[in-house]
Parts: sequence; C-alpha cells; structure tokens
Amino acid sequence: MVQARKRKHVREAALPIVDVARDRQRLAKLLPDIDPGDLDLILTSLARPFGSGRRFFLREIKPGVYVY
Amino acid sequence: MSIKKRTLGGSFTSPAIERYWAKPSSAHASSDEAFVLAVLDALRKVRLEAIVVGSVAGILQGSPVTTQDLDLLVRDTPTNRRKIQALGAALGGRPRAITELSSALRIDLPAATIDVLFDQLSGNLTFQALRARSLSVSLGGQTALVARLEDVIASKEAAGRPKDLAQLPTLRDTLRVKKTLGRT
Repeated sequence: MVQARKRKHVREAALPIVDVARDRQRLAKLLPDIDPGDLDLILTSLARPFGSGRRFFLREIKPGVYVY
Repeated sequence: MSIKKRTLGGSFTSPAIERYWAKPSSAHASSDEAFVLAVLDALRKVRLEAIVVGSVAGILQGSPVTTQDLDLLVRDTPTNRRKIQALGAALGGRPRAITELSSALRIDLPAATIDVLFDQLSGNLTFQALRARSLSVSLGGQTALVARLEDVIASKEAAGRPKDLAQLPTLRDTLRVKKTLGRT
C-alpha cells in the first residue's frame, strides 16, 4: 500500500507541467474565433517537445476497437 | 462506446523500436515517438530520401491530432523501390500494395502502419515542390524532412476524405496560432 502510494507520487512528480496562461491571454484577443478549449489544446501541444511522451497513433485491434 | 483497460495480447512494438525506446536519449519518449525515431533511423540506414507528410507532419509541428499511420512521400524510382523493401526489412515488415488502384505501398508493423506514397500528394503537390518547402526537423538525434503545415492542410483539403476534413479545423487553427506566435 505504502509502496503503491510512493509509486503514484513518483509518477505524478515526473509529469511535465505546461504553463500556457500568458500565451492564451494574448492569443485569445488576437484570435477570438478560436474556441478557448481548442486554443489551450494547441498551445499545450506546441509546448510539448518531441520525445516528451506524446502519443498520437491509434491502432485498430479489430473493427471499431482501437488502442492508443 | 466503451473504453476498457485490459492487458492486450501481443506486442505493439518491434525489436527495432524496442532498441530505440531503450536509448537514454529516448528515456521519456512514448512508444509512438520511439516508432518515428526508429523509422527515421531506418530511412537513414537504407539511404531513402522521404518526406514525412500527412497527419504526422502536422503532429511534428505541434498539431494536437491523432492518426493511424505514418505517411512518407518518396520519388518513384527502381532504386527507391528496392530501398523501400530494405526499409521494411529493417523495421521487421514487408511492403505491400494498398489497393490495385494505387501505387502506394503499406508496411504493417506492430507499433503502427507506414504508408509510402509516390511522387505527389492530392492537390498536385509534387515531391520536388514539397521538398523545396519542407522543414528539416531534428528529432532525438535523427533528422526528418517534414512537409510544411500549409502543405499538409492543402493535401487534406484536396483529398477531401471525411477523416481529412475532420482534422482541417485543428490543423488550420494550429497554423494560425503558430503564425501569431511567430513560430513558422
């Protein structure tokens, strides 16, 4: 139990944090037609360097069933 | 629709990708990123000049989309056809025709599928034109020739399949954000 909690802690401590608040504030005024949720998604995606653990392939293991 | 967590039988990687994943420089890489690196490494080893096109080109430029395959554009020459066979062998797969109506080849691998397209993309986007505008992107010690986001968008507009049209708003918005941030 303690070990499981410790592992969870280590995993969470290793999670990358992306702060896009400043860019979001600026861009929301310049690009008001982009949905705020989409803008956050794009900014966080742009902020993640290649090799940081991003997943983007969907594999179809049988018709209509995917794993990512 | 349901999402289940379960142990999947079989592996979604291959020895070529496992080797990449094990490298210290790829310590934080996902299996998808390791797959891209393994493909770039294999391209370099077989000396096949290929442009990363399609959704993965968009992803490598920060677009938050998902895909089912890695699309590569190459020149259709006998030498390149041989190199594509070597590419498949290096990655543990065998290139096969996708359909009788198309010259494109597909390499099915446990981690993902590679589609090799020849000479041009939808929208009369030729290899030469795409190459001239492409970005040379450094990824984990490898270099990738990547089609510009503008060309990815143009090819998807021309292809017009539902899955292409569905990604277009996100790709266009990503391009607008990048331009506004001065990152193009």
